[in-house]
Amino acid sequence: MDAGIEDHLAAGRHARAFDLVVPAYKDRVFRLAYSMLKDRAAAEDATQETLVRVWKALPGFDGRAQLGTWIYAITRNTCLMELRRRRPMVSFDDPDSTEAQHAAASIASGPAADPERDNLLRLVDALPRNQQEAVRLFYLEDRSYEAVAEQLGMPLGTVKNLLHRARKRLMELARPDEVIAA
Amino acid sequence: MNDPTLIGPCADYEHELVELHDGELPPEHARIVRLHVAQCARCRAWAEEFAALDATLAAELPRPALSPAFDARLRERLSVLGVPAVRGELRSRIELEHDSLIESLRKVTWRRGLLGAIGSAAATLGVLAAAKGLLARSTDWTSLLGDGPERWVTMGTLGATIAVAALSWSAMRRGVLGLGWPR
Repeated sequence: MDAGIEDHLAAGRHARAFDLVVPAYKDRVFRLAYSMLKDRAAAEDATQETLVRVWKALPGFDGRAQLGTWIYAITRNTCLMELRRRRPMVSFDDPDSTEAQHAAASIASGPAADPERDNLLRLVDALPRNQQEAVRLFYLEDRSYEAVAEQLGMPLGTVKNLLHRARKRLMELARPDEVIAA
Repeated sequence: MNDPTLIGPCADYEHELVELHDGELPPEHARIVRLHVAQCARCRAWAEEFAALDATLAAELPRPALSPAFDARLRERLSVLGVPAVRGELRSRIELEHDSLIESLRKVTWRRGLLGAIGSAAATLGVLAAAKGLLARSTDWTSLLGDGPERWVTMGTLGATIAVAALSWSAMRRGVLGLGWPR
């Protein structure tokens, strides 16, 4: 898939290369943006912004990095700028923080409507941000460790570790009367 | 092997249980882990709990998609932008800017050098004119230089004045920024 794009790029046919980039990457860029921004509309805007940046920068793409790696790096930067632009929000990055404990406590006394799903989403929101992103992306990408590693720009082992810790923590948070593991 | 009152898998098997669930273990390794799970209540319970969580996450986490209007919106944005400059054009534009900057700096240096040279020449001529005036007052100009060591001091001072003038002219000619004479 990327080979065709790179052939066009090498021949200076940037518009034709871009015509292939959009269908090949727009959904993955959107899923990555959603995993970071947690909001469909914001993720769609970030996807637009990313592809516009790709369009502008494509003539300067020198092929030293993989095309996907380059596009996902632009996506992550776009999303990080959006996150910085937003008002400061309560952080759950530290699972032992007061906020995270409140979030975990509110899970037990959450609303009754579809409680299992609501609880699950709140549990995921109580994870540190990098674990949240990895978990959302992993399930959006049909449990592909490789896709998550490529999109987050992390080594495969780091992603496996991150997901392991995240799911282990989710299991712990889901137990109301937690018993310490041996 | 384990205490059934504790929750959690045997430490040695925790990662293997996840990899077994994800289908990432080689067949022989998977067989060993399955044998262990069959014999270990704690690992079995943990693996079942993990599988349930995994299934719930897969089923319940939102799976949003791009809106149908996405492509049209993108095309509209790109149509305003036009075709981006290609790499070669960008490069030649940057090179042109660089050349024009260097050229303007050289012009400044050249002007500065010329002014310095005029100033140095004027200073040297002034010194020479003063020396000539002194010489005119005396028929025996060698008496102006004094006798003995005094003569050598006077000659040394004159030489130093000329050398300083020449050096300052040379320094101004090269320019303070060291950009060199126009090539």
